[in-house]
Amino acid sequence: MSKLPACLNATEEDIRYLLAAQAHIGAKNLNVKMIPYVWKRRPDGIHIINIGKTWEKLVLAARIIAAIENPSDVVVISARPYGQRAALKFASYTGAQAIAGRFTPGTFTNYITRSFKEPRLIIVTDPRTDHQAIKEASYVNIPVIALADTDSPMRFVDIAIPANNKAKHSIGLLYWMLAREVKRLKNEISRDKPWDVMVDMFFYRDPEETEKDTEALAPTEKTPPTFNMTDSNWDTENVSNDWEATGTAAIGGVNPSIVAAIATNNPASSGWDMPDTEETGGGWGDTTGTFTAVSEPPFTAVSEPFAEPPVPVEPPPTSVFDESTFDTSGGDWADEPTNNPSSGWD
Amino acid sequence: MTRKNGKHSGSAPVTKLGRLVKEGKIKDLEQIYKYSLPIKEYQIVDTILPKLSDEVMKIMPVQKQTRAGQRTRFKAFVVVGDSDGHVGLGVKCSKEVATAIRGAIVLAKLSIIPVRRGYWGSLLGDPHTVPSKVTGRCGSVTCRLVPAPRGTGIVAAPTPKKLLQLAGITDCYTTSRGSTRTLGNFVKATFAAIGNTYAFLTPDLWEKIEHKKGPYQEFSDILAKATEKRRV
Repeated sequence: MSKLPACLNATEEDIRYLLAAQAHIGAKNLNVKMIPYVWKRRPDGIHIINIGKTWEKLVLAARIIAAIENPSDVVVISARPYGQRAALKFASYTGAQAIAGRFTPGTFTNYITRSFKEPRLIIVTDPRTDHQAIKEASYVNIPVIALADTDSPMRFVDIAIPANNKAKHSIGLLYWMLAREVKRLKNEISRDKPWDVMVDMFFYRDPEETEKDTEALAPTEKTPPTFNMTDSNWDTENVSNDWEATGTAAIGGVNPSIVAAIATNNPASSGWDMPDTEETGGGWGDTTGTFTAVSEPPFTAVSEPFAEPPVPVEPPPTSVFDESTFDTSGGDWADEPTNNPSSGWD
Repeated sequence: MTRKNGKHSGSAPVTKLGRLVKEGKIKDLEQIYKYSLPIKEYQIVDTILPKLSDEVMKIMPVQKQTRAGQRTRFKAFVVVGDSDGHVGLGVKCSKEVATAIRGAIVLAKLSIIPVRRGYWGSLLGDPHTVPSKVTGRCGSVTCRLVPAPRGTGIVAAPTPKKLLQLAGITDCYTTSRGSTRTLGNFVKATFAAIGNTYAFLTPDLWEKIEHKKGPYQEFSDILAKATEKRRV
């Protein structure tokens, strides 16, 4: 399309990631405005999104985000649970603000609200569920970037990144890529080396998975005093944020004693890799427990038993991706847990 | 934004625009109009246009029926203007007249609009009349403003006359239709008509305007410092 430098082209790895996360799987319904982004309609009714265009819009969005002088003038919004973790992580890595959970009406328009914000740009996970944010942005001259599925309403959306916003891996991956691209454009990361933050940090985690972690870690006595294991999903989030704040080498790096504990209990690691292996997708639970050395490619599983770095072509045996278990029906909203009303975001 | 009570304290601006105006970075309402920035704090207008005069057009008692009789409130219509190109119209209802008037003045300041003035004939001296025939509607009332030669004065009913005077229009013919006795609609119709003076594209506006950075972008460093202090 436009004449961009070649370094902004999608690499093969990027495309593989997008496909593996099923970011190209659209919905059965198609919004008129999304027609240019659809590659084809499958016989079963699902529309396939043109991933090349996804990448282009992603880069465009990243350029816009990077152009905002003050990074905290960007607000990331996600009402849906699948996007909340991704939004929070994106915000923490790029310096933006995040509104996860309920978007208090009046946040942009009512200066008396406690949560009154005046952003210059907002990023939205789903135009349909985050419609209140988009509507308010229209009152106050705020441009909107949105992850748009084929059936998403486009009113007041300025930059649409066509992608699957129903599947948790897809949402997480897109925010990860966006964050990475923004950091690259701002020269905080190099383009040659992969980002040392793993995509798994952006994925939504079920409360049951977090509980499994809690059980796994509880017997260990060697946990540091700051590690407060409770059942609440959000507490674990806060804890991992604390670790980042105290300057652990790699974002996503973890206390090795915890790694050891997890490694002994859960065989699968959160290696993010190609859909070649036979592992069933059960390993997403220990994302905080996986340790990644800075210099290694992001999809290396480095929990104790699988410490060797892979030969580039052959994927490590602990990949969690198994294409056969994937439901290619386009994702189901019903799978996503509903929001607890007491999320307390204000 | 941490604040003890919910109300705007009046001593410190809360919105970005407010802060920029207080710092003196924005000296002109035109800068605000150019980027369509909503004005939420009336102090912004006060700072930029200190010589604003207001005029209460009408206090209208309105009633609601309750089982214990009627509940009367007072609706105040206030027009605010500097007689030099800016007007605002505010309507506020309240249990007391004074409160209603005060509230209406605030709302009028928030709704301030630029008035475009032009010439009837030769482009001599300052603009004195409407640049073209414009019309505004509200309810059943339509109000039409027609350019007039210098020295004509404002040929209008008392209601729109007051509005046009505060707008800074010296000469104007008017025509109105509909139930002009409903002052609320009448005054809103002329307000709309005055607002349409800048909505009308004339050939002298044809040339391209180069795009410049908006105030939020230009002064984002100043705004950032202010938010740093407030951030919890």
